[in-house]
Amino acid sequence: MTNPKQNSGQAQQSRGQLAASFRDPSGFLFSRDGVLYRQVNRKYEQEYARLIESGLYEKLVKARLLIPHIEADQALAESDSVYKVIQPERVAFISYPYEWSFGQLKDAALATLSIQRRALKAGMSLKDASAYNIQFVRGKATLIDTLSFEIYKEGQPWVAYRQFCQHFLAPLALMALKDVRLNQLLRVYIDGVPLDLASKLLPFKTRFNFGLLTNIHLHASAQKRYSGAEVKSRAGTMSKQAMIGLIDSLDATVRKLNWNPGGTEWGNYYDITNYSDAAFEHKKELVGEWSARVKPALVWDLGANNGVFSRVAGEAGTYVVSSDIDPAAVEQNYRQMKGEKTENLLPLLLDLTNPSPSIGWANRERDSFDERGPADLVLALALIHHLAISNNVPLPQLTEFFAKLGKWLVIEFIPKSDSQVQKLLVSREDIFPNYTREGFEAAFKQRFKICEAVNVHESERLLYLMEGL
Amino acid sequence: MHFAPLPYLDPGSGSFLIQLLIAALLGLGVAVRASWGTIKKWFGAKPKADDEDDESEAK
Repeated sequence: MTNPKQNSGQAQQSRGQLAASFRDPSGFLFSRDGVLYRQVNRKYEQEYARLIESGLYEKLVKARLLIPHIEADQALAESDSVYKVIQPERVAFISYPYEWSFGQLKDAALATLSIQRRALKAGMSLKDASAYNIQFVRGKATLIDTLSFEIYKEGQPWVAYRQFCQHFLAPLALMALKDVRLNQLLRVYIDGVPLDLASKLLPFKTRFNFGLLTNIHLHASAQKRYSGAEVKSRAGTMSKQAMIGLIDSLDATVRKLNWNPGGTEWGNYYDITNYSDAAFEHKKELVGEWSARVKPALVWDLGANNGVFSRVAGEAGTYVVSSDIDPAAVEQNYRQMKGEKTENLLPLLLDLTNPSPSIGWANRERDSFDERGPADLVLALALIHHLAISNNVPLPQLTEFFAKLGKWLVIEFIPKSDSQVQKLLVSREDIFPNYTREGFEAAFKQRFKICEAVNVHESERLLYLMEGL
Repeated sequence: MHFAPLPYLDPGSGSFLIQLLIAALLGLGVAVRASWGTIKKWFGAKPKADDEDDESEAK
């Protein structure tokens, strides 16, 4: 989109080809002078032509289910197998399924099925159903891989069926019916949750749910039984009607899976905070004022809870990644964002004490959290005591961490006398002699210039605006 | 035989077979629903709007 340095850290192979883009022979992504292009290979000519000529491309883009692109100069091509070079709209921030809340993964699943249904009408079919092909573009789950379509031949089963079950259905069922934290399995299994594992973990009662019985439990048994067997079926064994039946059934199964936030760590955080409305309003005012002053293109709000301050920082239309460790807070944030049709906010599930690592082939397929930066402005509100005290991170290390993440920093210092910090210290020895205003400022001055330091009204807390040196 | 052209991702033999089974069951349902519309039309019911613009997101 607008910010050319976004994803600048994305792992690249030689000649600009992105490291995550190697599996599909139809084409690949490459970057030239900070602009992202996709080379369409000659091998994919027929499919690309059908996508455009059938009107499917236009329909999907209009429904905001597929990323729009323009055709670029073919001379930019990275290799001579080129058919066309296209320039897709830039995605403001690439996120991964293990960083999504339940609702985000569910919407990504439903978007995939909706695309498949429309594709079938146009005589095409999705040849993969990877959750990594879906991104949140202006707030909506959108397919970003334009080369995901193949020409549909009546009789042919859905080649992406297994992938859909592993990337979407299995983790959604586990999150809804076992434990919402099981989405973290996606961080370990890059091609989705193995179905035999999902089948073992799901409660017995899921065998009485037709969609889960067939698509997960029986599917897992069939995989085991027919592993490596040659499929000797005749072409034409799966009619188009049957394919539509399958897609509808998957859709109904996914829609019936629900998870509601509540009863977790921070779900009602703002009702149980120890500071007054005046302090809260003052914080909002300062965040708004400083964001307007810094004019960032990309903000990372870390420990954002349900995104109150993210919305303040994003008032001018700035894109804000609003991350929190708590699945309930992220889910609430996402629901609110959807309800208000906010386009410049991305709720994200992230544990800062163990942020998303780079994973996949050669550790270069999916970027770590900090590789997807730096941000222009980082917000760290009511956060540092959790990192410094609960997680024992020394202040100089915190300074280095924040210096790497962004140029500008709005950070809140909560002194030991604050009751929230007292709570953290109540059951443990106080081994933090440097956790004072002076110690905090001394540490951060090593890497930042302190531009503002303001006492938050009716509290002992301090809010700082800092600029990286 | 294989379904031509071969896909670039391995769809898995078990996944293919279970899919054929489920789809055979569900295809029947789709056929019934489709003809149900035709039957209703004979009796003067208005055909339902196309689902082209269906809302794809979770409620």
